[in-house]
Amino acid sequence: MKARRRRARRVTLMLLNLILGLIILLPFFWMVSVSLKPAVEPFAIPARLWPENPTLENYVTAFRPEFRVYFLNSIIVSVSTVVITVTLALLAAYAFTRAQFRVLSVIMTLVIVAQMFPASAIIIPIYKMVKSANLLNTYVSLVLAYVTVTLPVAIWMLRGFMASLPLTLEEAAAIDGAGPLRTFFEIIVPLCRPGIVATAVFVLIVTWQEFLFALSFTSTKDMRTLPVGVNDFIGQYGIRYGELMASSVLISLPVILIFFLLQRQFVAGLTAGAVKG
Amino acid sequence: MRFTTLLVATALATMTGPALAQEKITLKFWDNQQTESGLSQYQQEAVKRFEAENPNIKVEVTTIPYPEYQQRLLTAVQGGNAPDVSTLDQIWIAAFAEAGAIIPLDEQAKTAGIKADAFFKGAWDSANYGGKLWGIPFNVDVWSFSFVNNALLKEAGVDPASMVSFNGLRAAAQKLTDPAKGRYGVGLFAHKGEDTVVVLDSFIFSNGGKVLDEAGKCALTSDAAVGALAFLQSLVPYAPKGILNASSGDMRELFLNKSLAVEFWPALEQPTLQKSSLDWDFVVGHAPEGKKPIGTFGGWNLAVYNSSPHKEAAWKFVQFLTREDVNGAVVDLIPANVKAAKAFVQANRKGGDRIIAHLENAAPRPLSPRYLEISEIQVQLAQNVYSGMDPKKAAATACAAIDALK
Amino acid sequence: MTYRDRWLTWLFVAPALLLVSVLMYYPMLGTVVESFYSTSFINPTPKFVGLTAYEKIVGSAEFTRVVWNSFIWTFFVVVLQNVLGFAAALLLNQHLPGQGLMRALVLLPWVLPGVVAAVLWRFMYDPQLGLINSVLMSLGLIDHGIAWLAEPTIAMGSAIIAAVWKGFPFSCVVYLAALQAIDREQIEAAIVDGAGPVRRLLDVILPGMREVIVINFLLTTILTFNYFDMIWVLTRGGPQNATHIFPTKIYELGFGQFRFGEAAVYGVFSILALALMITLYFGVQSNGSRRKSS
Repeated sequence: MKARRRRARRVTLMLLNLILGLIILLPFFWMVSVSLKPAVEPFAIPARLWPENPTLENYVTAFRPEFRVYFLNSIIVSVSTVVITVTLALLAAYAFTRAQFRVLSVIMTLVIVAQMFPASAIIIPIYKMVKSANLLNTYVSLVLAYVTVTLPVAIWMLRGFMASLPLTLEEAAAIDGAGPLRTFFEIIVPLCRPGIVATAVFVLIVTWQEFLFALSFTSTKDMRTLPVGVNDFIGQYGIRYGELMASSVLISLPVILIFFLLQRQFVAGLTAGAVKG
Repeated sequence: MRFTTLLVATALATMTGPALAQEKITLKFWDNQQTESGLSQYQQEAVKRFEAENPNIKVEVTTIPYPEYQQRLLTAVQGGNAPDVSTLDQIWIAAFAEAGAIIPLDEQAKTAGIKADAFFKGAWDSANYGGKLWGIPFNVDVWSFSFVNNALLKEAGVDPASMVSFNGLRAAAQKLTDPAKGRYGVGLFAHKGEDTVVVLDSFIFSNGGKVLDEAGKCALTSDAAVGALAFLQSLVPYAPKGILNASSGDMRELFLNKSLAVEFWPALEQPTLQKSSLDWDFVVGHAPEGKKPIGTFGGWNLAVYNSSPHKEAAWKFVQFLTREDVNGAVVDLIPANVKAAKAFVQANRKGGDRIIAHLENAAPRPLSPRYLEISEIQVQLAQNVYSGMDPKKAAATACAAIDALK
Repeated sequence: MTYRDRWLTWLFVAPALLLVSVLMYYPMLGTVVESFYSTSFINPTPKFVGLTAYEKIVGSAEFTRVVWNSFIWTFFVVVLQNVLGFAAALLLNQHLPGQGLMRALVLLPWVLPGVVAAVLWRFMYDPQLGLINSVLMSLGLIDHGIAWLAEPTIAMGSAIIAAVWKGFPFSCVVYLAALQAIDREQIEAAIVDGAGPVRRLLDVILPGMREVIVINFLLTTILTFNYFDMIWVLTRGGPQNATHIFPTKIYELGFGQFRFGEAAVYGVFSILALALMITLYFGVQSNGSRRKSS
């Protein structure tokens, strides 16, 4: 009786899993399917799940020389952003968790809620600043913007993580005669590794798909990043679905791969850190 | 720590790109790009030619996908970083002129001997605002041609020639529609986009109506305009579902897969159809019995920016791009230079004479610095009409909004 | 705390503070200032008009529409995304074959660039060519295609579903992490006490995750309220303004119609609305922690 109930439960769970998988994967599957459709073959009605004559021609078109430039730009910008954001967030999060004076907690709240401003409302003033700093069409402008955008959440994630580290660690280090800087770099930072991985993955995912700043701050093709490049296939009156979906698949692959490799650490980092609130 | 920061900073600094001073003048030219063409290649060749003719000028071309072009230009102008020269949609000219972003070109045009009659009238008109010339027409097209699927027409026994009149179009649309087979007569669309407005306009124009009268007041409540709206409304049963969020691009996909018999597109659609396996033709617009269809002008003008330190070089480049022997090689629509246009359509388009005739008879959209607001109101008008509101009432609502803009 | 520690604290906070104030708060102040001027692209010398623009906008039907739409959009996307995320997390927390792969797959929608996800969904919803109608028809659930994004009454619902699909994976992963952090012993103890799965969820799991849930709601509220790409690509705020929310309205006014001053007024209201929501959340949270500590 009990065994039967257990089996019924297992089947139900598997079924639910299947439904969840379908919800997630069906749109993706269709995206891949559209990306494999020959450009000259019109769309079928009703929609087909798999193209009649699959081809890789859209991928060949999508992987044009510009795409490689965009790819490299995306990597440069994302990696720089991840490094800088995580570094700054570590510093700030440490200060916010260890020092306890009132002004600081107000500042922390202000920093963390800074993401509430709609980007379309502040893009022109930011653009003017970037222009007057002579940074338009540079990686620096993008990295600056991305660091600012991702910093609040990064601080929030790492703050939770650091709050879970016992204060006794620093007290012991202080007894050993280590200064606060040494304590931070040699004891705290290494202990935060799971949190750092989780934060870095988060920052990478957000940066990798950012569009509005990338579009506004870059003007030449050799500075564009992938999400802007994808838009080459969206025209005034029509969309070239095949090439668009093919390049979307290409764009998503690296992040999916990284996430797949790091998912254990990502979840572990969140577990130990951010979820503590 | 400090070392890593330094390392990142230097790395970033070296990555900021080659912005070093050169002896040559560098002209910044911005253009939007239509996905239909592999245009950038031809543009690069033309730029090389220009640079060869003018060894002290280097042209830096930036092409921006259409959906973002307006925002990019606006941000750049507001941020004091406009290009030296760019293409501008006809409907932006008045606003850019009013904003002081671009300069009048009357003097330069006079000196260079550039005259209105070298260009299509509607295109030239669209570059004039407040008695001054603000741009040189670069390329044009006209909304719209009605592309037809010959096989579907034959099957339903419809003669394309009969579709020229409003009543003929409706009768044909009715015959061509069979929802059970997934067949639709005519591709209507009313999403938020300029394609919605230009098609609406062309039916209003062809029926003898106007958007604004001479005094700049809304003229959509006239009998002619309301009549056109009522006619469009009567086509709704023969259009694919989802008009209110459909675009000309969506209708193209249906046309290509043979579910749609008639689609409204500019001549720009031809290269796509040529690549397909369809047996197609086109009808030059629709009008009431005995009248000539009037299309809506679309296209781009070249303008020189007020902030440019190289206005003279910029003007040289504008002259170069609109020259009869160059214009045809650098556009994806139709050259605005009439002679270049004739050569271009003969070489690249089917039914060239009919295209030129439709262009010569087309009318521009209102030349107002607040055109974009008018356009938005017209989109609402189209959506109201297509969702069944009384055309008279819809037009009155639109006119109240347009006249309140003052 | 020593003087040096305090100094060091400021040094640690300084870069973050500097960036956020220069690139976020300063432009935001600019927006507030701009909202009192009649600025537009075609009017390069702005005039101070005080609250005139506010009066004009607040009284308009458009504004009411945008506020209402933003509320509906944010409320439903946040609630559905969190409920679905939580349910998926509960499911993925079970020991089943292939669960590792599922945990990686579940994040796919979040990883997909925003514009691409939106284009994909616009195509999925296409009345004739879209996969959704095709699947529903072949299952016999509907007998003719539905225009998901063109009917003013259902367009918002369709947009919400697409946004939930894109957003729930993040909530799911955070909840999954929180579930794994819950003390196993507490759950075992509850089982020994004879608590069924529902009791365990209500008495042990949910209280233990209270803070995560609050933070996650806060975060998704901010992100959803400012979520631009999805609606812009799906409908641009149409049909008949049925899906216009603050970010799309701001973009349309500012970049689509060159009306910066009015865009700024919407911007100010958008910030106020979010500030209000954030205060509420913090109220709930501190209330909760006070109760817990007492």
